[in-house]
Amino acid sequence: MQKKAGPLFYVFLVVFVFVVMFPFLWVLLASLKPPGELFGANAFNFIIQNPTFDNYLRVFTQRPFGTYLWNSTVVATLTTVVSVIIASIAAYAIAWLNFRGKTIVLGLVLAVSMFPQIATISPIFMFLQSMGLTNSWLGLIIPYTTFALPLAIWNMTVFFRKIPYDLAEAAKIDGASIFQTMSKVFFPLAMPGIFTTAIIVFIAAWNEFLFALTINTEEAMKTVPVGIVMFQGQYTMPWGEISAAAIVVTIPLVIMVLLFQKRIVSGLTSGAVKE
Amino acid sequence: MGKSSKFHLSEKQVGYLLIFPALLLIIAIAIWPVLYSFWLSLHDIRLNDPTKTEIHSNYGLDMERFVQTYPILNRVVTKETQEAKDPAVKSQLESIGGRVKEIKGFLSTDPAFAQRYEQVDELLFEFKPVTADLKFLDMNTEMTEKVNQVLAGLETEVQDLGAQKALAKPDDLLGLVRGVKQSIIEPNYIGFSYYSSFLQDKRMWASLWNTLVFTVLSVAAELVLGLLIALLINKEFRGRGLIRASILIPWAIPTVISALMWRFLYDGQNGIVAYLFETFGFIADRALLLTTKEGAMFSVIFSDVWKTAPFMALLLFAGLQTIPQSLYEAASVDGATKIQQFFRITLPLLKSTIMVALVFRTLEAFRVFDLVYALTGGGPANSTETISILAYKTMFAQMNFGAGSALAVIVFLCVALISIGYIKLLGADLIGDNK
Repeated sequence: MQKKAGPLFYVFLVVFVFVVMFPFLWVLLASLKPPGELFGANAFNFIIQNPTFDNYLRVFTQRPFGTYLWNSTVVATLTTVVSVIIASIAAYAIAWLNFRGKTIVLGLVLAVSMFPQIATISPIFMFLQSMGLTNSWLGLIIPYTTFALPLAIWNMTVFFRKIPYDLAEAAKIDGASIFQTMSKVFFPLAMPGIFTTAIIVFIAAWNEFLFALTINTEEAMKTVPVGIVMFQGQYTMPWGEISAAAIVVTIPLVIMVLLFQKRIVSGLTSGAVKE
Repeated sequence: MGKSSKFHLSEKQVGYLLIFPALLLIIAIAIWPVLYSFWLSLHDIRLNDPTKTEIHSNYGLDMERFVQTYPILNRVVTKETQEAKDPAVKSQLESIGGRVKEIKGFLSTDPAFAQRYEQVDELLFEFKPVTADLKFLDMNTEMTEKVNQVLAGLETEVQDLGAQKALAKPDDLLGLVRGVKQSIIEPNYIGFSYYSSFLQDKRMWASLWNTLVFTVLSVAAELVLGLLIALLINKEFRGRGLIRASILIPWAIPTVISALMWRFLYDGQNGIVAYLFETFGFIADRALLLTTKEGAMFSVIFSDVWKTAPFMALLLFAGLQTIPQSLYEAASVDGATKIQQFFRITLPLLKSTIMVALVFRTLEAFRVFDLVYALTGGGPANSTETISILAYKTMFAQMNFGAGSALAVIVFLCVALISIGYIKLLGADLIGDNK
């Protein structure tokens, strides 16, 4: 760390935080405004004369927003569990075991992480349609898991390589099998890395839009991002309700970020920064 | 471990076993679809045309359609013949009826047809779905030509009769003849014709240009701003957690939701950001943001910078922290200025981090979809339509999967070209893993 920060720095800090958070603050205000203050002369007031929770109420009673939230939660959770399991055993093999073709696998994984998803959508859509999996949770979990794998494998491989290999050797000398080494020695140490990856995968699955838009088109199977975009009528934008819904979705993410920010940062930067 | 003595696997075998599930999924759901997209792009596939919903490499017969329309055609022709009063019309209809019967006669020379006809008829009678393996029957070219010829003749004759007002229900008969005609499937391989027509398509080039403008401007702005923020926060201060959180929150919320938020803020009547821009004189009128070409592109880029510059700062900040402090101390002892320190120490040592961030951001920006979809929908007048948006619209609004896949392949090729370009430029910096 370098020199201490001066007072001017704190002014910058306040301005920075305000600019970054401003859209949220404004949307939060909008979500509490009655229609009369949302539009027209009062539209730019910072103070709400008659704050109301009507928008929140309408989102949950007049729209299937609860269903969207449930679909998103199920899909994101299952995607996280499945992809973390598959990716962690693959990353374990790449980081700790000796076999040929590791570099090729890692290169392939990196290349796939750069694939534009639009280039895969038509075959995946046709495949899921022929299997009867459109408008189902599984129809989203399959592509989500696949596209979460590259980043998850990459992140965990980087993390697993930092775990001292001596421990594995010691376990081997004590007569442990590869699977015992994995479950008794390795995974307990690897938990922080796995957890970090899980958070990032969860957020990515929660936020995904293109697959959700094309694969689950039935009202009862939509996820939150698609559901909110479809709030708009043909000629009107119900800004009050959109704001309320946006705040409802943002709050759990904000809590998650506040709780796990250090882990998320380490997960996001581990692949990019060489030490 | 009793088990391990029974199935003793070498380390190598265990390695392959453990990466197998991941590899299988990646190959089946990521790599194969890209190759199949390319294959689809060589065919005329339209999900809204029942004879073109999949790839057909041979002539064929849509059995379901044929079994549904052919018997009715037969019945209607017979009925029209009975009801015809003019003897000339009657004999013409008799001849038509004869040729309608002939069609099934031709087809029945193929024993597979006769058998398949019975099976499908039975399924339809019981209101059961026709299974995929029964639905299409391959036909040889000779037979197809014969049947097509007969049907084309029938179509003109029925049309003429209809024009003479000689039929009781001319539209029914004509519709049925056409229905039977449509059950004949033609191979829909069309080679590279989508690509060659897209190369001359103004809308395609415009969307590619929009994508490029968006990518270059937003990534450049994010890099500069990100670096600036990273340098500024690279000191000791209170409230690190607050900064980190305010950096992560824009990154964490769904892109479509941030796009909707910005759409509200940019709104020409009630949008606070549009209002502020107008007040500060950045724009002449607050309605300009989302209704003019330049305004809309600016809005899209500005939203992207808001969401991603903090994230860029995070990556670069992590890179900055790996630069040893002693280098700066030594430099200032030697009398180097701050600016010299930045160009001689910070930038060279940060190069690999900058490059990695740049590569990932460029590729991500190039495939931008969510943001544009929710913020402008590609408008106004397609001025913010990116190549991914165009591909999506072609596929799911026009239901033209062949042409849409061709566009998707173009996106893929562009991304591949950018990656190769970066790899050539940077070589080992990029690929070198952390070992």
